[in-house]
Amino acid sequence: MSVYAIDKICYRALHDLAFREAVKRDPAAAIADLPLTGEERQALLAGDVAWLYERGVHPFLMGHLTRFGLFGLTVMTYSERIRAARDPR
Amino acid sequence: MAEVVAAFGVPHAPGFPALVAREGPGCETAKLFAEVARHLDAVKPDALIVFDSDHLNTFFLDNLPIFSVGIAETVTGPNDQTRMPAYEVPVHAALAGHVRATGIGEGFDLSLAQDFAVDHSIMVPLHFLTPRMQIPIVPIFINGLAPPLPLSKRCHALGRMVRAAIAQWPHDMRVAVLASGSFSLEIGGPKIPHGQRAGTPDPEWAKRVQAHMQAARIDELLEEATSSRMLRAGNVGGELLNWIAMLGVIGNRKPRFIEPQIEHGHAYGAWRWD
Repeated sequence: MSVYAIDKICYRALHDLAFREAVKRDPAAAIADLPLTGEERQALLAGDVAWLYERGVHPFLMGHLTRFGLFGLTVMTYSERIRAARDPR
Repeated sequence: MAEVVAAFGVPHAPGFPALVAREGPGCETAKLFAEVARHLDAVKPDALIVFDSDHLNTFFLDNLPIFSVGIAETVTGPNDQTRMPAYEVPVHAALAGHVRATGIGEGFDLSLAQDFAVDHSIMVPLHFLTPRMQIPIVPIFINGLAPPLPLSKRCHALGRMVRAAIAQWPHDMRVAVLASGSFSLEIGGPKIPHGQRAGTPDPEWAKRVQAHMQAARIDELLEEATSSRMLRAGNVGGELLNWIAMLGVIGNRKPRFIEPQIEHGHAYGAWRWD
């Protein structure tokens, strides 16, 4: 599990404008070279924040994705999904 | 000789500057900050110790200090794209270095930050309290966001060490202390309300914390503020540690004024003894 890599993607969504724009343009291409497992990649591209949270991704950092509407996340979809999450393993 | 003259505690929601710009000085947030600022101005501090939990902007999970002291000539921010003016704030590098050295001598393994910017959690309070940015700060960072959190008792002891360090500072100086943070707040986690980015999952805890502070029941507060209790009040509930460190600096005193906003999970407070 590359929790750190996903935390870092969330961090870069806030701090790295070029990366943020790349994610907006083509999410799959923007994260293609990053060290994620297939499942993680799929979860991130699907905006499955509950799955990511349950595996230890920091929720405060994931909030950055909503702020910029990345990976299809809006405040509404994000809150609906994260509210259904179980405690991290 | 240096002395601690007052202490303050405030929340730091990133939306506050825009809110107050929109609603004007009559809104509740503006009035509460103005009340704290009035006390701060009255004690005329020469330096301001700021206890703050960085929101993974100054530091990140690649290299995360539990406690860190910022030692530089100035610091800029906010570095997290908060909608507010950008500032450059003087840092009291000599006092910061003295506090850090004293702490290390007392057994606190304080990390060092010399080239850093800070996020809204420092700049929002300063924007309202010292808008001319004329008072040099000593930023002391406490990890309140990325568990495992430091113990409440350890943060209180950190504050007591800061008080001793200030007392040993061989120059006349009036030092005030600022704690930044909420008591109950969840951002981006499962406890947020439907359709919101953040929420206050545990107003009862915020009320209890505020009541303990009001009555100077510090031992009870330290006993109750376990890591799991704070995190039950929200994934940012560890920001209470900044207030606890501030209370360590000033000892068991009752606040001159403390105004809770329970529905928001935070409070505004001022401690003075002049």
